[in-house]
Amino acid sequence: MEIINGFWDALKGIYQGSGLMNLDWRNYLMIGIACVLFFLAIKKQFEPLLLLPIAFGMLLVNLFPAIVAGPTTEMIPVKPEELDHYSNYAKTIIDGQTFVSKPTSGGLFFYLYQGVKLGIYPPLIFLGVGAMTDFGPLIANPKSFILGAAAQIGIFVTFVGAVFLGFTGSEAGAIGIIGGADGPTAIFVTTKLAPHLLGSIAIAAYSYMALVPIIQPPIMRALTTKKERAVVMKQLRPVSKLEKIIFPVLIVVIISILLPDAAPLVGMLMFGNLLKESGVCDRLSKTAQNELMNIITIFLGTTVGATATGENFLSLSTLKIIALGLIAFMMGTAFGVLFGKIMYKLTGGKVNPLIGSAGVSAVPMAARVSQKVGQEENPGNFLLMHAMGPNVAGVIGSAVAAGVLLSVLK
Amino acid sequence: MDFIGKFNLSATILLTGFAIVFAVLVFLIFIIWGYGKIVSTAQTKHHERKTRKELEKIKNDNPEIPSVEPVAVKPVRAPVVDDSVPDEVIAVISAAVYSMYGSREKVRIKSVKRSKKRSAWANAGVIENTRPF
Repeated sequence: MEIINGFWDALKGIYQGSGLMNLDWRNYLMIGIACVLFFLAIKKQFEPLLLLPIAFGMLLVNLFPAIVAGPTTEMIPVKPEELDHYSNYAKTIIDGQTFVSKPTSGGLFFYLYQGVKLGIYPPLIFLGVGAMTDFGPLIANPKSFILGAAAQIGIFVTFVGAVFLGFTGSEAGAIGIIGGADGPTAIFVTTKLAPHLLGSIAIAAYSYMALVPIIQPPIMRALTTKKERAVVMKQLRPVSKLEKIIFPVLIVVIISILLPDAAPLVGMLMFGNLLKESGVCDRLSKTAQNELMNIITIFLGTTVGATATGENFLSLSTLKIIALGLIAFMMGTAFGVLFGKIMYKLTGGKVNPLIGSAGVSAVPMAARVSQKVGQEENPGNFLLMHAMGPNVAGVIGSAVAAGVLLSVLK
Repeated sequence: MDFIGKFNLSATILLTGFAIVFAVLVFLIFIIWGYGKIVSTAQTKHHERKTRKELEKIKNDNPEIPSVEPVAVKPVRAPVVDDSVPDEVIAVISAAVYSMYGSREKVRIKSVKRSKKRSAWANAGVIENTRPF
């Protein structure tokens, strides 16, 4: 009988500790959303390298919320002969019984999340991005920086919209940065300005980056004429190795002096690029591009996904953030194209305005969209390298915009 | 925050954001343009100096090499060359023509122009390498 009772108690304990007792409808809804993200990542291949870890983090945290729980202490009763063993712990005596406060460890994602919370992962991602980026097109045509700057206007215009929708200044800054279409920058700014919105902002930012080929082309076509889209641009000049080596050092010196808050992002971006361009750190460059980047992507993706618990995510603010993020992204694209049109006029038709939309970062997808839309008008037109200039300028531009927001709003 | 407060905050961020992002990036345009000029000029000069030094060294090491007196040569009509075609490419084309025909055949390159259109094979290659999706 005792065995059966023990067995029954064990079953009851397991049932009471299971998700069936502890999860509410919001968790189940979030599990459903995670499954939709799985579908988009696996079947539609929308940014799968990020969307899949994010979706899995989301799934796991909604099944087992304690995975993000921080360390706590528990009071355990001890016998007098065990006191020596617990000499380092705080003790409490209640009714003659001694209790010690024994620390318990936190959930797995609590520790992995420290890299997000402390702003470690985004700069490390930028290190890998820098090691993979060729700034040659930007050095060959520095005017591309204008397009990279124009595409950041969406960030500041959306900031205004967010403030008037009831968000605080810090929250509005974090929401606006979605318009930069740069995941690591969005996460970096949000952890500093509005950490409680991280899940919604990260998911909105990465979703829109994945939807670049769907969101951008209609805006590009609406704002340009057939003649403008068909412009064939002159081949870029060759850039020497010395110029490519000087570039990252020069940029990091200038940006760090002018905007110290952007230094972690721009610094690591340029460090990664210097590893690549120097040609003497091949092993380090490859590690930054591959192993390190992949490891950080897994940690960043799963832990950012784990911030999207039902309680945090399912709110009116999330819907507002998703809508504002889309507006920010569309405005960034539109302003990039409009400045491209200005350059088209000023250069007497030598610049194809379509490359302006690539100023919204999202490397290299936004540049590929410029190439695709350009080729629809003229199959012999190859805008890819020309669009890479504004595209990498957009990465620097969004880091500068992040520095501005941090220095004003922090 | 009341309406005035929101308006002030928005206007401040909008103005500061526009001004700083554009100022920094325009500043970078000038810096990159400037250092591009400096580096390419310095590299050209360095290259010229190096070539001159090498020639002088060869001359000093081999004093027996007679200095060549300029000889009046019958002017040869130079081929018409497109400005965008580098000298190295002209040299390669000339070498290829020479290796094909040798000096016995009377062949002359009249002009070198960059093709406006890619060949079907080149187009196929570029499309393959730049296919967006």
